[in-house]
Amino acid sequence: MKPLKLYFSFLALFAIALFTGCEATLAPAYDQAIVTKVTASSDLAMRFFAEVDGGTESESFAAREPVYNILIGAFESLKLQAKARPVPKNVALDKINEMLAAKGSNAITGDYPSAFAFEKIAETFKKMKETDKQNGIRPLALQAFKGQVEIFLDQAITYESFLKR
Amino acid sequence: MAEDVTTIITGIKDIASGILEKDISAVRGFSERQVEAIAKQTVLIQKGVAGGDIDEELREFFLDGLEAMAHNFVNTLKGILMVTLEKLWNALVNFLYKAVGVVV
Repeated sequence: MKPLKLYFSFLALFAIALFTGCEATLAPAYDQAIVTKVTASSDLAMRFFAEVDGGTESESFAAREPVYNILIGAFESLKLQAKARPVPKNVALDKINEMLAAKGSNAITGDYPSAFAFEKIAETFKKMKETDKQNGIRPLALQAFKGQVEIFLDQAITYESFLKR
Repeated sequence: MAEDVTTIITGIKDIASGILEKDISAVRGFSERQVEAIAKQTVLIQKGVAGGDIDEELREFFLDGLEAMAHNFVNTLKGILMVTLEKLWNALVNFLYKAVGVVV
C-alpha cells in the first residue's frame, strides 16, 4: 500500500511540474549594487554610532547634521532601489497568492522586506536627528536607536543576500 | 518501472533535502539573532523609560519600532521561504524534465 501511495504522490508532483510549465520565479532578482550600497551605508552608520556613543548634546548638533543627512539619503535611496525591482509574474506565483488570500494572508507584492527595513532605518535616523537637534540624545535612547537600526539592517541584509541563488 | 520510480523518488528526496538543510540552517541563525535582538531592544526601552533617558514621545516611537520590526521579521522569513520554494521547485522541474529527456 505504501509504495502505491508514494507512486501516486510522485505522479501528482510530476503532473504539477509538467502542467505549470518550466521554471518559476517567486522572488525578485539579486542586485549586487544594493548589497554593495547597504554594506557601505551600514559601515557609515556603525561608525557614526561609535562616534556618538554615550549620548549627544544639542549644542554640537550642527557638526553631526551632515552625517544624518547622508545616512537618511542613503537609506531612502536604498528603499527606492529595492522597490524598483519588478514583482515576478507567473502561474506558480499566482497560485501561491491565491492560496495566501484563501488563508487570509497578504499576497506577495513589491513590498519587499528589505525595502520596508530601509524605509524604517531612514525614519529612525530622521527621528534621531530631530531628537538630537532639540534636546540632545541620552545614552539609553542612543542605544535604542542603534538597536533599532541594527535589527532592521539584519533583516534587509539577510533577505538581500538570500536572493543570490 | 518500479526500479525507475524508486530512482526518481530517491533523486527528488536528495534534491529536496540538499536545498532544505542548507536554507533551514541559515533561517535558524537569522531567527535566533532576531529574537534575541528584539528581546534585548525591549529591555533596553524599559530601562530607558524607567531611568528617564527615553521620554514619552520617544517611548511611542520605539514601541512603534518594535511592532514594525516584529512584523518585518515575519515578512523576511516569508520572503526567504519564497526563495527556498523557488530553488526547490526549479531543481525538481529540471530533474523531472531530464528524467523524461526534455531539455528545459
